[in-house]
Amino acid sequence: MTTSNAGVAVPARTDDGDSSVTESITTAGSRRRRSSRARRRSRRAGLLFAAPGLALYAVVVLWPMIQSVQYSFYKWDGVTAAVWVGVRNYVSFFTDPVLRSTLGNVLILLVFFALLPIALGLLSAALIIRAKQPGMAVYRWIFFLPQVLTSVVIALLFKRMYAPEGPINEALRAIGLDAFAKNWLGDFTWALPAVGLIGTWVTFGFCMVLFISGAASVSTDLYEAARMDGAGPIREFFSVTLPGLRGQIAVALTLTITGALRAFDLIWITTRGGPGTATQTPAIALYKAAFVNPDVGQAAAIGVVMAVLCLVIALVITRVSEKE
Amino acid sequence: MTSHTEKIWNYLILTVMALIVLWPVGTFIAAAVSPDRAGRPSADLQWGNFLTAWTQAEFGRSMTVSLIIASAVVVLSVLLALLGGYAFGVLGVLADRFLFPLVLFGMMVSLEVIIVPLYYQFRTLGLTDNLFGVILIHTGMGVPFGIFWMRAAFRALPRGVFESAEIDGAGPFRMLWSIAAPNIMPAVYTLILLNFMWTWNDYFLSLVFLHGDNQTATVALGVFQGKYVTQINLMAAGGLIVAAPVLILYVIFQRKFISGMLAGAIKE
Repeated sequence: MTTSNAGVAVPARTDDGDSSVTESITTAGSRRRRSSRARRRSRRAGLLFAAPGLALYAVVVLWPMIQSVQYSFYKWDGVTAAVWVGVRNYVSFFTDPVLRSTLGNVLILLVFFALLPIALGLLSAALIIRAKQPGMAVYRWIFFLPQVLTSVVIALLFKRMYAPEGPINEALRAIGLDAFAKNWLGDFTWALPAVGLIGTWVTFGFCMVLFISGAASVSTDLYEAARMDGAGPIREFFSVTLPGLRGQIAVALTLTITGALRAFDLIWITTRGGPGTATQTPAIALYKAAFVNPDVGQAAAIGVVMAVLCLVIALVITRVSEKE
Repeated sequence: MTSHTEKIWNYLILTVMALIVLWPVGTFIAAAVSPDRAGRPSADLQWGNFLTAWTQAEFGRSMTVSLIIASAVVVLSVLLALLGGYAFGVLGVLADRFLFPLVLFGMMVSLEVIIVPLYYQFRTLGLTDNLFGVILIHTGMGVPFGIFWMRAAFRALPRGVFESAEIDGAGPFRMLWSIAAPNIMPAVYTLILLNFMWTWNDYFLSLVFLHGDNQTATVALGVFQGKYVTQINLMAAGGLIVAAPVLILYVIFQRKFISGMLAGAIKE
């Protein structure tokens, strides 16, 4: 990422600020002074231009974030006076059996929200890249489609699929597997994987386009060399495509893992975190603590923990992917 | 130079995957036009289901609410993004070494982290159950991506675009509105589409902030499906009504959706 750190001469744009630096070195002293004054004026105008957006961003995002930390040290029901409780809300997040179980649920969801979508995304991307056949745009359109559907509609699609008399159970009965037919979303064992598979369905198309765009920047020479060597589709994938996609895979991992941690809409509409707490995620616990049985400090603490976890995950993945 | 059998395998695997993706959508559409309350597909297409769902769920009202919110957010977001993107991409900003990373950081902040204080603060200001409050939050949360996206678009403009205007002595405002902005309209259209989609598809924020007559289409759909658990055909029809606006835009502007969402993910 390139930040324009040296600023810009006059209203015109420079690439990285570098050219304005060289310009000021090569020109006469008087002009340099004038141009640096102009640049300062321009940067002041820039601050003025950016101010409305930055101010709103600060009020709506940054300030509440700081307040979240503050709230998290209090016990408050949203109405009566708040009581300072120190780090108790954080301790209870890791000791309360229900709250702690949300993290275990997220670990299982990771398989469906992160690993499977990335695997399927790689498979479909590899097929589409290698094929260069007519009709590939249609597949891309279909696989990406779930990304633009609103979560409520996705939840309804799958509530119907998983219903006791829904298409999945009907298909199972049609092929004689009646014993496997069940109320998927009401089953203590199966509800979580069932919800997870919705995540797979939604996410893999996004991973796919990410990988297709990444592979476009892999040099075609590498592919040609691989084919000259007589590499089949599988060897080509592992020796050319996959190494070339390391950056994209890191991005996909970051987004899908944090996505699993933050899963709310799909789960809230399909199961409300149930049966029991079988599909409860941190975001569901947060919503319940904030708005159903108000324990506002606890909700804020969950939010802070989620934010820290997301940040740590993003940093670790970036670090690891860049090191190799 | 892929072999014939390999091509067939490619099509086969991709088609199976496509069918799996389309299966829930297909049965949903079939249910929406089915006369059967359980939503079993039928050759007797009941287009009237859409009308029934529309009136019973009062989608007219909630879709209007969603449309008002989405339009306002789109207009405000694009304005702020043009100004901010021009500032960071062309003019330069005082302290941008600190401010720009702060903006990028915002692209990682999720609603869950800020929703609690946001709700209680807005409640004291009387901005809960108020469209204006929700518009402000959506717009504010969209600022980081907007600035990031527009900055990249302005920086990609050739320098020559500005030179003649510079000689004319045009001020920064005139440069932005009459020279720079008209040259980056494709990026603006993408931003409009993405902002519309994000706002229209939002569920969490609307669920927390808006109630009763102020319900958005997505929240109204959630309520509707809870009431009509025994009438799957109507529920499916309602779902398609709510999904339709973004779906139609996706059919027309597929490439813009994909490129914009990718850029937001990669942040390069």
